[in-house]
Amino acid sequence: MALGDAWKQLSWFYYQYVLVTALYMLEPWERTIFNSLLITVAAMAVYTCYVFMPQHIMAILHYFEVVQ
Amino acid sequence: NTDLPGGWCKRPPLCCRCRPTHGDLSGLGESVSVVLMGIALQVCHAACNGELYSRPFIESFEETPMLLAVLTYMSYGILTIFGYLRDFMREWKIEKCHTAREREEQKDFVPLYQDFENFYTRNIYMRIRDSWNRPICSVPGATFDLVECSSNDYNWTFEYTGRVVKDVINLGSYNYLGFAENTGACATAAGEVTVKFGVGVASTRQEMGNLDRHEELEKLAASFLGVESAMVFGMGFATNSMNIPALVGKGCLILSDELNHASLVLGARLSSSTIRVFKHNNMQSLEKLLRDAIVHGQPRTHRPWKKILILMEGIYSMEGSIIRLPEVIALKKKYKAYLYLDEAHSIGALGLNGRGVVEYFGLDPKDVDVMMGTFTKSFSAAGGYVGGRKDLIDYLRTHSHSAIYATTMSLPVVEQILTSMKCIMGKDGTTIGLSRIQRLAENTVYFRRRLQEMGFIIYGNNDSPVVPMMLYMPAKLGAFGREMLKRNIGVVGVGFPATPIIESRARFCISAAHTKEMLDRALDVISEVGDLLHLKYSRHKVLPSLDRPFDETTYEENEE
Repeated sequence: MALGDAWKQLSWFYYQYVLVTALYMLEPWERTIFNSLLITVAAMAVYTCYVFMPQHIMAILHYFEVVQ
Repeated sequence: NTDLPGGWCKRPPLCCRCRPTHGDLSGLGESVSVVLMGIALQVCHAACNGELYSRPFIESFEETPMLLAVLTYMSYGILTIFGYLRDFMREWKIEKCHTAREREEQKDFVPLYQDFENFYTRNIYMRIRDSWNRPICSVPGATFDLVECSSNDYNWTFEYTGRVVKDVINLGSYNYLGFAENTGACATAAGEVTVKFGVGVASTRQEMGNLDRHEELEKLAASFLGVESAMVFGMGFATNSMNIPALVGKGCLILSDELNHASLVLGARLSSSTIRVFKHNNMQSLEKLLRDAIVHGQPRTHRPWKKILILMEGIYSMEGSIIRLPEVIALKKKYKAYLYLDEAHSIGALGLNGRGVVEYFGLDPKDVDVMMGTFTKSFSAAGGYVGGRKDLIDYLRTHSHSAIYATTMSLPVVEQILTSMKCIMGKDGTTIGLSRIQRLAENTVYFRRRLQEMGFIIYGNNDSPVVPMMLYMPAKLGAFGREMLKRNIGVVGVGFPATPIIESRARFCISAAHTKEMLDRALDVISEVGDLLHLKYSRHKVLPSLDRPFDETTYEENEE
């Protein structure tokens, strides 16, 4: 039951995303291209965060002289 | 309380500085309250529009929310990128091209299809084209029947599925007084005339197309409008575009509202007068143009203009706004200009007896020099009329291009107009006309109020039967039309060339033929689709219409 509600909510969010970015008007293969590009860019951002976040946090803490 | 000095302030409470004093004087002594009321009235009389308006003029155009504007531009950007991709694929023959293209031999000529309008049509309009040009197979009254179409290649071609969608509620037809019906007095009269006289007239007005029914119609139209004389034409668009060139020419000045209809713009351009455009319904802009025109005269020679003609409409159908007629007439009299009023949407729809925007404001029809209108909307016929002084109409009878070259109105249409006009005036002995006008007014007020309460952004005046509801995004424009049709309601969506590119809207036209149950059903469905598509954008920052343009001192009024 909760899974069904969550699925309905998720599909409403996907519908809003598709309306706001005008993917609603595009053909399915165009939607696939756009979604793949978006997921690729988002994945790259997440990976960069994962690789570089520790160094960045250490640099910030070093700047504020919280840690040597 | 209405015979206090200075008159009673009739501005709506939001605009009036004297609002706090109206209510809390009940506890004070009578003489003190009269004195305070007098002082308060003197204060608010200076901020009001004087005695020009006898009822509050409530018109609102809520500002586009910034986030929505950014998202709309982003969605158009994505569509443009994919449009370029598809154009590239069509150019390199990866994809079959369904649109018009130049022939191989013409590839070195000036390109025909590369401007933005053609790009927009190919790549954006085509994708949601199924919401427009839908074939109807019944009379477009309060409900109609729709022939169902489907497309297998994404709206390039359509096929009939063979089914007919029945009883779709009609929120798109300009059927303001509900005369679009195939039963009743109008249809019977038109049928009798067809049997007696046939359909075609086969001549122009000046040759053999002037029938006695046309003269009767013109006399009736003149008495309906309250003018000396009127003339009718076969086509509403042609009434504007063919008669403005007959009235003004070289050496004349046309002051035209920025949102005027294409027929007025075409007529103004064909007349070869100088055209200057003022901001929509903005009296300060119009006055500035009038003063500049009179002070400076014609561009190089500084001679005075032969004529200054102000072109405005009664109700603007894309905004739902009503012309500020008392102010325009005051300006026209002060600067000795002429007014051409196009009452296409307001004749029959406004006013206590349906006589249009002049009666709505309680003014004298003789103040408007040229009253033009169409029979397409409230009378459910076709054609247009021009009304005014007798010498003006006599001049038009000889000099109008439409009278010389265009076929006259065909007789069944004349009969339909005669019957419906007599019904509205009450001359057929019934009160059907008056009851329809009242029902239209009630429906309008109810529909607008409910939509505003639901939280949609609605443009325009509270009394106009044209209700534009803002959608902004192109995908939502297509989705709105489709979702409403799935739930059996037919609406008209309006997009780019007719409106600014980010302000696409759905335009509802209220009719006297709609019953309250139909309106309630339509409102429930609109609310449901609004929740589904997330269309309830209004933040209720409704700015009341000011009587002067936005300057430094208007912040003090808005702070209440």
